[in-house]
Amino acid sequence: MRGLSTGARAGTALAAALVLVAGATTTTAASATTSSDTLPGAYGSVPPQTGKPTNGGVVTIAESPGAGATYIFPIYPAADASIGTNQQFQQYMWRSLWWSPKGASPVIDYSQSIAGPPVYSNGNKTVTVHLYPGWKWSDGTPITSKDLAFDYWLLEGAVNKTVGGSPANYGDYTPGLYPDNVTSVATPNASTFVINFNKGYNQNFIFLEELGVLEPLPAHAWSKTSVGGPIIPFNNLKNAAAIYKFLNAQSNKLSTYGSNPLWQVVDGPFKIKSFDPATDGNTLVANPAYTGPVKPHLAGIDNVAFTSTSAEFDQLLTGKLDVGFIDFSDLPQVPSLVSHGYSVFGYPDFGFAYVGYNFKDPTGDFDHIISQLYVRQALAHLQDEPAEIKSRGLYDGAAGQAYGPVPAIPVSPFTPSNALANPYPFSIAEAAAQLTKHGWKVVPNGTTTCQNAGSGPKQCGAGIPEGTPMKWNLYYASGATITEGLVEAWVSNLKQVGINVSLSSKTFNYITGELSDVSAPANDKIWAMECFGGFTDDYYPTTNELFNTTGSFNQGGFSNPALDQDIINSEFSLSNSAVQKELTLVTYLQPGLFQPNEDRLRAFSDTLSGPAASFFDATQEQYSPEYWYFKS
Amino acid sequence: MTAYLIRRIGISIVVIVGIALLTFVATHVIAPTPGRAVLGDKATIAAVDAFNRAHGYDRAVWAQFGSYLWQLVHGNLGYSYKLNQSVDSLIIENAPHSMWLSGSSLVLSILIAIPLGIFQAVKRNSVADQSITAVAFTAYSMPQNFLGILLIGFLAISFHVFPAEASQNEGILPYMLALRANFLPIMTLTITAVAGYSRYMRSSALDALAQDYIRLARAKGLAERTVLRRHLFRNASLSLVTLIGLSIPALLGGNLVVEYLFNSHGLGLLFINELGNEDFSTVIALTLLAGIATVVGNLVADVALTVADPRIRIN
Repeated sequence: MRGLSTGARAGTALAAALVLVAGATTTTAASATTSSDTLPGAYGSVPPQTGKPTNGGVVTIAESPGAGATYIFPIYPAADASIGTNQQFQQYMWRSLWWSPKGASPVIDYSQSIAGPPVYSNGNKTVTVHLYPGWKWSDGTPITSKDLAFDYWLLEGAVNKTVGGSPANYGDYTPGLYPDNVTSVATPNASTFVINFNKGYNQNFIFLEELGVLEPLPAHAWSKTSVGGPIIPFNNLKNAAAIYKFLNAQSNKLSTYGSNPLWQVVDGPFKIKSFDPATDGNTLVANPAYTGPVKPHLAGIDNVAFTSTSAEFDQLLTGKLDVGFIDFSDLPQVPSLVSHGYSVFGYPDFGFAYVGYNFKDPTGDFDHIISQLYVRQALAHLQDEPAEIKSRGLYDGAAGQAYGPVPAIPVSPFTPSNALANPYPFSIAEAAAQLTKHGWKVVPNGTTTCQNAGSGPKQCGAGIPEGTPMKWNLYYASGATITEGLVEAWVSNLKQVGINVSLSSKTFNYITGELSDVSAPANDKIWAMECFGGFTDDYYPTTNELFNTTGSFNQGGFSNPALDQDIINSEFSLSNSAVQKELTLVTYLQPGLFQPNEDRLRAFSDTLSGPAASFFDATQEQYSPEYWYFKS
Repeated sequence: MTAYLIRRIGISIVVIVGIALLTFVATHVIAPTPGRAVLGDKATIAAVDAFNRAHGYDRAVWAQFGSYLWQLVHGNLGYSYKLNQSVDSLIIENAPHSMWLSGSSLVLSILIAIPLGIFQAVKRNSVADQSITAVAFTAYSMPQNFLGILLIGFLAISFHVFPAEASQNEGILPYMLALRANFLPIMTLTITAVAGYSRYMRSSALDALAQDYIRLARAKGLAERTVLRRHLFRNASLSLVTLIGLSIPALLGGNLVVEYLFNSHGLGLLFINELGNEDFSTVIALTLLAGIATVVGNLVADVALTVADPRIRIN
């Protein structure tokens, strides 16, 4: 699953995104010994690891406006899944089985994980998980395989219709996949958890897309159906559904988060202390019984809610925040912020932004034109990413290049080579040559028309009549200055080869929810191109649902049989390079115009210190404050 | 008077039901089944269908409206699936802070604008009058967000006299007592309101000063202060009564700009945020609330006028 993001690329986070990888390149938060305070391609730097660590102090962290946590129970409903803060909020208290990211890299950090790499057998139908020893709940009870089985059964109870469950009860649920595809689970001993699937899957897929949601939950404290009720067996559907219902009801009582004993049993470095349902602001205190790699130096965290990015930035300027985010509208004020005692660091998240094409829009024969690969490649040649990133009016250096559905930075083990170096570098001459070669009469700054109709190799392409002009429209999401600047820069380049594009701004919700709703074909003839922002990738970045013919968010109706097969292979093939093959093809086919991947900018008070990697990961929507300390 | 009030209240109820119906229909035209808006664009069709079915959104619109009215009668304004709380809770949590900021600035504005307007009228065309007029015009024409940014820039960031954000206390009493923290947001609201009210007051006072009863009072040898207090003040204030009555919806509606700038969570910002989130339960409830406040504000203004001016009789 990918997180939909706006033009500002704010607010979404990876759900349970993990990745199978060995030999990752960045340092871990746990073993951070790097002397570097920045990363190649990054904006600015994080606070240097200096000074003598002191224990105590409460770090104040800004929450994104309108994105405060709204749900505490880790099996969160789909309605709360789009709020990235929920995931972050929960991870302070309940850790994923496999921890990620590793610094800013979208990979697993086993040094912070509760289990080692899964072991596959029986044609990938059986997966065995071995828990690392020593992990305990905050009340001293050891974490065992039963806590993983508890998580599995609760998920079953949440979504299984036979016991009143609903697909809407879990944000990461896809019918037919986990847990529907599980035939049985077993706990042969306290540290071993075995899952049997109904078929064999690709190892990376099953690990990152399926098992990534696994998270030990405290069965000894939560396996009940009322506040004062007894602990009951959870390993049957009826009980599991009743327990889920109880825990969900408790989680809907936001004002009790700080006082409910249920939420005090944690395995993470912090525990909830208070929660303000009016603002979603909350405070956490250190868990003194935390058994992870490092005990927190800090006494607690104050997650401060904000009504606007400007209100948050004012608090940074007055020194009232230790950690905050920086909206792109405040980018020119970064030097002032640095002079006020902050380190500013920016790095792209693992995702992409793009202009979507509508392969179903017959207006001006756009459907036939955009179906031509050479046209899409010419359009890619007309985007000058390096200039856009360098532009002071746009990113001012705070973005990374991206040429496909995975960005050039951060690098994933699955990033294909053609997504690392631009396969279609900026060249107006090359774009014009491509069009001319295929029968178009290119009129720079005029209107390019099809001169040689037909489907031959030197002709415009099937269905494009002679005289057809290159004249289309592009809807972009209003409210984000950078989105507007990007499409304007591109459209200006298009004009130089006689492609005329009219720009219209619409709200983000209108574009994603109305204009390009795959279930609203009445709108298919309205738009040729659209730009709303992009997506945050899962760590297993298959483009399923986006670019496969039947994808639920394939809003433009792109269809390529070879890609469809590659996407199927990413899920079921035994080859561990299946998804690279898929991503290579998507980057080549250019089903949309892939745009620069903007940085997530964070400000850290220079009074804070810690391993560099523990700050780097803030750009991937995951804070690691247990590694931070206030300098003495 | 009683018959008039009963009639007005009856009409008000009809108006409020009309507002509820219009808002309900409008939001359902925009998003007939809110499952997609609530669960997000990446939610599976199965999840969206299950959500709509579970919450009755697959029924006919009239049936849904009937259920909604039944909920309203029972004091249930609906549930915000986006914020995971009942709308009643959201209003209870957010309304007091909004009301305090709006209410205190309204009272302050009145206390400042009335004597200021009278002073300007009495000292018409003097240097003081011209100077105050210049300042009032500047403040009146200044966008509220710009004024707020200026105040934050000078008094919070540059000179550290006041905090850049409103009080972050959860409870309303500590919030109200945080005078220093709330000074800038209240001033932002007050300055712009004073600029407007004082112009009305000056104009109204000038009209009253030209009336025979003022000349008569002066001819009788009353002290100027007594003339102003007893004869000018009450008559000149009548024009403000209607304006103040129409300001009542702002007490509940919140002040979007100030809440946005000064990090104060309130109803104004809640409305805008949830409109963007397509959280229609909250949007419908807040629209209804604003409608009620407007109707009540008008009623209060009419009644207040009759109290302030015995010459006005309700027919």
